[in-house]
Amino acid sequence: MSEPTEYVTLVSYDGFEFKIRRSAAIISGAIRRMLDPQSNFAEARTNRCTLETIPGIVLEKVCEYLYYNEKFADSKDVPDMEIPADIAMDLLIASDFLDV
Amino acid sequence: MENADDTIVIPNTEEDDSDAVPALKRRKLDKGKGKARVQSSDEDDDLPVKGKGTGKKGKGKGKAGKGKGKGKKKPRGSEDDSESEDADDFLARDMYKKGKKLPGQLENCEECRKRFTVTPYSKTGSDGGLLCAPCGKLLKGEEAKAKKKTQKPAVTGRRRRKVESEKLDGRIGVGAKSLVQLSIEKIARYAEDVEGFGDISDPLLRKLSHIFTKNRVLKPETLDLFLRNDNRKIEIHDAAYLETDNYDRVFMECPQMEDITFGNACQLKDQNLQYMLEKARHIKHLKLYAANLITTDMWNTYLTEHGPNLETLKLTWLNASFDDSTMEVLAKRCMQLTRLKLELCGKITDEGLKHLKDLPRLAHLSLHLTQPTDPEIIESIIAAHGARLQTLCLAHIPEATNSLLNTISSHCTRLSKLRLSSAENLTDEGIATMFNEWTGKNPPLSFIDMNSTRSVDYVMPEGPDEEAVGLASAGFIALMKHSGSALRKLNVSSCRHISMAAFSEVFGTGSTYPNLEDIDLSFCGEVDSYVMAGIFRSCPNLTRVIAFGCFRIEEVAVPKKAVLIGMPRAQDAIEQFGGVGMDMMGVDGGKEVTVEA
Repeated sequence: MSEPTEYVTLVSYDGFEFKIRRSAAIISGAIRRMLDPQSNFAEARTNRCTLETIPGIVLEKVCEYLYYNEKFADSKDVPDMEIPADIAMDLLIASDFLDV
Repeated sequence: MENADDTIVIPNTEEDDSDAVPALKRRKLDKGKGKARVQSSDEDDDLPVKGKGTGKKGKGKGKAGKGKGKGKKKPRGSEDDSESEDADDFLARDMYKKGKKLPGQLENCEECRKRFTVTPYSKTGSDGGLLCAPCGKLLKGEEAKAKKKTQKPAVTGRRRRKVESEKLDGRIGVGAKSLVQLSIEKIARYAEDVEGFGDISDPLLRKLSHIFTKNRVLKPETLDLFLRNDNRKIEIHDAAYLETDNYDRVFMECPQMEDITFGNACQLKDQNLQYMLEKARHIKHLKLYAANLITTDMWNTYLTEHGPNLETLKLTWLNASFDDSTMEVLAKRCMQLTRLKLELCGKITDEGLKHLKDLPRLAHLSLHLTQPTDPEIIESIIAAHGARLQTLCLAHIPEATNSLLNTISSHCTRLSKLRLSSAENLTDEGIATMFNEWTGKNPPLSFIDMNSTRSVDYVMPEGPDEEAVGLASAGFIALMKHSGSALRKLNVSSCRHISMAAFSEVFGTGSTYPNLEDIDLSFCGEVDSYVMAGIFRSCPNLTRVIAFGCFRIEEVAVPKKAVLIGMPRAQDAIEQFGGVGMDMMGVDGGKEVTVEA
């Protein structure tokens, strides 16, 4: 058991680990629910989310997006984040799953 | 730079040799076109000689001119002595000229004091002196930077248009777009290269279909992406690119299909409907817009055979088919029909309409008729289905009178969506009575559209004096009193007789409409900044306000979650406050909203 940490770890199915700020990670509804201390999931105790469906290359982009979203949360006319066309489809499925 | 010598020479020509003038003139002309048409008599014999000869001569004279430029310094000394007032002026000009060295001459750089050779490309420094090549480059870099900085605000026009366009799409200005949205946009941009959507959820598929339609990339090549063997629903809002064969393909690939939407189905033909009849036996919901190549006979055949399975039928823009005989078939065969929408179907008359009474399960009815209608027939339909009706949309019913409203209020008890638009013979009193009578009888509605229900008499733009026509103050107050608590969507655009007092009463302090998400107030001239602020305060879940033509809205703080559309004039004021909107919504109470009346 541990206190909620400032950083959490997201793990892709092919083993890549991304340590990102909790405040950014919980922008994703799915990750927020995983990490909710009330839920008593293993993820909440270890501060580590293993995302079995998402490959590393996509998860990297997701993390980039989470920080991007956090940064622009209150600003207007936000520039669109660049998404490589080749992973757009995977990213769509991942983002639908993660609820971002 | 090259013309500098010309300017130097001209003031001196009077004293110096007279042929300098024509020579110079000719030089200029040579540069311009090569044709000399100088009137001076001295050079007459030279004039016809064009090309190399004159060119050479010109150069020669040019040198002479430069010589004069140098020589000119001498008279300057003499003029210094003279006490004429022109002297200062001349001196100033002369000093200025002195600084300008000509290409090929040597000069000290203004910045680094180094000696360098002047070229036509030498830059002028901040004090008017010339700069050497390295210093000139530096200056150029700085200039480019400054230019970039000044250019930025210039693109706002285009950005603003994009912002407005996104607003119209219902996207809110603050914060980043969702990753789903970003990915979908990217996919739509590379639509041709997508191999397959894989296993994605239906709502996502629908979103993709929307954006493909919007970007006009839903073509025969991309259609396959949306076809999966187990698909039960397909939604294509702009099928204009699809050809006859493609429709057959849809029914062939997805025999389980239950729900079909084809917008702009302009190439859907009889043969497709025939094929659909054979292949897609499970269709329950059929929505076809502008399918004008299907004949009345085919409709009759289809409805006779497949009618009993249909639960939803929505057809719009059928100009030449679907007449009264089809209506008769529809009423006889479609016993399961719960939703019926017939909009802008030009062949339907009263004769066909009256059959609608016989549909036993109808709960959602939308009609937009083009032929003049007897309001009594519509009333009889409402009376027949009243207790079941949940949706009643009657667009463009100029013939309807208050007796229609009576019928609605006395028969409908489960209505949640009501549209009575362009009904110019309803009175304000009638509308108010309907809502008042409904209290306790029909639960609050969630959708009300009364757009353009007002008097349209161009002689009396203010409406008749004695009795208000259409939705005006009393009707609006009654409407909000009855339905305000559940109302999600309200459209009162062009109901311009609703008074300021009515708006203030409805959206005044103490009122809350927790469910209201979408309001259209366009062309309600009485709405001003004060009313707008009241609306934002009393509707905490508001996401969109449309206010085209409300010129009295000037400065208003838009809450973070909402967009205000259609206010080009007040744009700056709105954007300026946009960021603070959230804080103000957070504070409890009614007086903290900034109002600039």
